[in-house]
Amino acid sequence: MADHKIVFAGSPGAGKTTAIGAISDRPPIVTDVRNSDSSLKKDFTTVGMDYGELDLGDGERVRLFGTPGQARFDFLWSILATNALGLVILIDNSRADPLQDLGLYLDGFKHLLPEVACTVGIGRTESHPSPSLDEFGDFLAERGLICPVLPVDVRRRDDVLLIIDTVLAQAEARID
Amino acid sequence: MTLPAHLLNHARHEAEYLLREVGGARAVVVATVDGFDVAHARRHDLEASRMAAMASSIAALGQVVAYEAGLGAPRCMIVEAAEGYVIVRSVPRRDHPLVIQLLTDRTGLLGLALQQLSRSGQQLEAA
Repeated sequence: MADHKIVFAGSPGAGKTTAIGAISDRPPIVTDVRNSDSSLKKDFTTVGMDYGELDLGDGERVRLFGTPGQARFDFLWSILATNALGLVILIDNSRADPLQDLGLYLDGFKHLLPEVACTVGIGRTESHPSPSLDEFGDFLAERGLICPVLPVDVRRRDDVLLIIDTVLAQAEARID
Repeated sequence: MTLPAHLLNHARHEAEYLLREVGGARAVVVATVDGFDVAHARRHDLEASRMAAMASSIAALGQVVAYEAGLGAPRCMIVEAAEGYVIVRSVPRRDHPLVIQLLTDRTGLLGLALQQLSRSGQQLEAA
């Protein structure tokens, strides 16, 4: 069986754990603990990693790794991203400065970005349309990066699968 | 992060106690389970906030490994390195679950360090 590794990164509360849970064929492994940071509007937060698996058929499987979003856990980012085929950056558009959030993860994974397929998923765009997807695209272009930017509702399996498809398509194009 | 004053005081006391009493202790951090430094004591210039984040990750990963293996709730995680040990102990308080991380060199005895860390964990759990 061919295994591919895709890593989920992005803002706290953007839904990395939920996204992996939405598409994993097995109950995901999670390391959520009670959140004590009042600036985050959620009860639990990931402090280690999430793990799930997605069978693509034809002997292909995607192993899904979720990272903690907070910068204090950045020591885990490079560990979890080792040998990744692709990177998914999830951004919560309801946060104060989503573009700055994206910049944090682009910096955090800058050594990985030249080598992997990356897709950016923007959440809560229906209630928070700004910044627009174009603005995210421009932000990436200013940094010399061309990555697909998609709206995503991480609770919807089809939305998350589309992001995985996008990552795999880019990876295939790189190999070709 | 808001913890009651008496718990903060206990955490400071236990961090100082462990640094003083454990042979070869280099640093102690008491942290929330989501990686915030609650109290620390150290002999070397170690970044307590970073240690706190790492302690919570180690504790969470240890927990998931122990549960997946059917071993129940873990109490302690030990990293044996060339120059010493990193020991992380969970403090499963219902209101404010915590972790304690102890860094030692190899001049002390691991068993004694575990015993003293266990004592401090119980003190913090009951505080």
